[in-house]
Amino acid sequence: MIYLDNSATTRVCDQAVDVMSRCMRDMYFNPSASYEKAMAVKAEMERIRTEIAALVHCPGGRVVFTSGGTEADNLAILGALSGCREGRVLYSAGEHPAVKEACKALKGLRAESIPLLRDGTLNLEALSSMLSNDVLLIAVMQVNNETGAVMPLKEIAALRDRLCPDALFHVDGVQGFLRVPMDMKETGADSYALSSHKIHGPKGAGALVAGPRVRLHALLHGGGQEGDLRSGTENTPGILGMGEAIRAFPKENDMRRLKCLLWERLLGLVPGAVVNGPAPDAERSAPHILNVSLPPVRSETMQHALEGDGVLIGIGSACASNKQRISETLSSMGVGRKIAESALRFSLCPYTTEAEIETCAERAGAAYRFLSPYQRR
Amino acid sequence: MRKLLLVKYGEIYLKGLNRPYFLKTLVARVREAVKDLHGVVWLHDARIFVSGVEDMDECVRRVTRVFGVHSVCPAVEMEKDDFEAVKAQALEVMRPYRGTFKVEARRSDKHFFLESPQINASIGEYVLENSEGRLTVDVKHPEHVLSVEVRDQVYLYADVIMAVGGMPVGTGGKAALLLSGGIDSPVAGYMIAKRGVELIAVHYYSFPYTGPQARQKVLDLAKILSSYVCGMRVYVVPFTEIQMDIHAKCPDDYTTLIMRRYMMRIAEIIARKEHCLALVTGESIGQVASQTMEALCTTDEVVNMPVFRPLIGFDKIDIIHQAEKIGTYETSCLPYEDCCTVFTPRHPATRPKMEKILEGEGKLESERLIAQAVANAEIIDL
Repeated sequence: MIYLDNSATTRVCDQAVDVMSRCMRDMYFNPSASYEKAMAVKAEMERIRTEIAALVHCPGGRVVFTSGGTEADNLAILGALSGCREGRVLYSAGEHPAVKEACKALKGLRAESIPLLRDGTLNLEALSSMLSNDVLLIAVMQVNNETGAVMPLKEIAALRDRLCPDALFHVDGVQGFLRVPMDMKETGADSYALSSHKIHGPKGAGALVAGPRVRLHALLHGGGQEGDLRSGTENTPGILGMGEAIRAFPKENDMRRLKCLLWERLLGLVPGAVVNGPAPDAERSAPHILNVSLPPVRSETMQHALEGDGVLIGIGSACASNKQRISETLSSMGVGRKIAESALRFSLCPYTTEAEIETCAERAGAAYRFLSPYQRR
Repeated sequence: MRKLLLVKYGEIYLKGLNRPYFLKTLVARVREAVKDLHGVVWLHDARIFVSGVEDMDECVRRVTRVFGVHSVCPAVEMEKDDFEAVKAQALEVMRPYRGTFKVEARRSDKHFFLESPQINASIGEYVLENSEGRLTVDVKHPEHVLSVEVRDQVYLYADVIMAVGGMPVGTGGKAALLLSGGIDSPVAGYMIAKRGVELIAVHYYSFPYTGPQARQKVLDLAKILSSYVCGMRVYVVPFTEIQMDIHAKCPDDYTTLIMRRYMMRIAEIIARKEHCLALVTGESIGQVASQTMEALCTTDEVVNMPVFRPLIGFDKIDIIHQAEKIGTYETSCLPYEDCCTVFTPRHPATRPKMEKILEGEGKLESERLIAQAVANAEIIDL
């Protein structure tokens, strides 16, 4: 099996599995307990907290462990704005539902979406015209989960500083963390959400990194864990597994070269192939996501055909792909219906090999040759 | 004293000399339905009884879904010789109720020392006097009826839960249902099965145009249906090659119709193999282009067995209501593409001409395609 749906989730790396297994067998103590063995677990958690803050350049920032990206986004948005009764929140049209729906859930506040450019990045001009003093929060993802477009975070923060300096800037880093460098200080982001299972860690773990401007209120009440921001006994196997996955993530990797190779091969086999998103070799394209349409073969058909040939890929975002409609990201980019209906998402990981990419391209080409004459007319 | 479920049957009453056959089948169906609840099921004196189950609510849920059952009553069984105890139990049975009531005795044991009106009066009086004002008597329009059936034992019950009705599955022959992932075909299957017909299902699978989720959806629908009919066999027939061939060689506006004719041909072969006497489809006149009367005639023409279409005169909204009632609607609405819609032409023929159909089909290797599809069908027993 060739797995190229790493933006949906990743295989947990062996190092993380080992640490989690040890944590469940031997280090299962409640980190809030007062004996030494529990304190050792707590110390390990704190070490991971510091490492994460350092990785995203937010030293002294607050790192709250959550159940994953969705909770981190919800905490950043609902937790920061729970006291506000009027104002606007802005989110990019391609945001994950975890951000979009959280923005819409804010009572009394207007949630507005910021359009995207043709290449999938944020339309800064449109954003600038939307910014005014009543904007409380801007939420823009680091990397779009469907197209791999890297968002111009620094430019967004600059606009914020100029036009509504009090607004918070939340960045959903679920698709970017470790694959695209993040510097919260330099980009001016106030909060950053990340998820463990996209970087070869376990599911059910994630974190929100919050800078000094953010005042968070808890969404879950109870025993007061995580500095009273996230009650509930800590998911220590998940957190330790995530920590190990972060350490083990191969910072030097071949993803961008292989992604470009995949595109080159696909274009060679299917001259009508179209990239949805920035050019694969462009800097504003994440190294691991390639969104391609091979019209007229529909996404589902190609996905099933490749599955039949042992290649697993994504169509749209896995979290929303049971809703059969054109993705909001692609429609905001102005991608036509026919192209959008045949969009495929190949997402790589640091362990993807050249041979896998060659085989995948070859099989996609063969499936295309077989299927393209037989499409709804 | 023991608690049990008293099961009443409906239309079987109308049967004459062959009533025992229908009853025997119904008992077998009830038995299958409660098998894993470890209950005992028996027929006695025109009633079916279920006793010894641990989870009575689940037992009620299952037995009310058995075709042939008219209604079920959670009842208490008492010895006849201690009438005082029967009265005391009657009061217990009525304890949860408030308002008006009456007692309705049925005295099948003609040797019992009281006649029905006396039983009514005696038990009614006892319950009224001891109900501490919760109940009053109204013999004309009571809110609650306490039934007292005097047979070998006495049975007391006040709650009658309506069941699905119909005839026991297996008494009405066997048919093959063409099951897509849509709303209609499961309802059609349900309606035919309700008349006592054993079902198998035939589903056409167009991988890679439809995927594993669409296939699972159909199996989920079949599973819901099978809960009414105590199990069902599903044939998943690979259909892609036929569809591709039709798409490549036949006129655009005829592809759906020709595809449906192949579905019928294949279904008939499978039906005969499975000793079915008829095909069942979810078609309704005029619902879509392939369901105009002209189109239906052209699909009927390729098979030599009856095609039952129980929804033929139903509006879509009625079918949806029925699907909601039988519990298939939500699954049917999952958005995966199904085999019927993969190559839908923009303007399908609604008044098809037979010459054009035959001309199109003439270009296909029908025999080989059909034989191959049947041979490669996957069989799943639910």
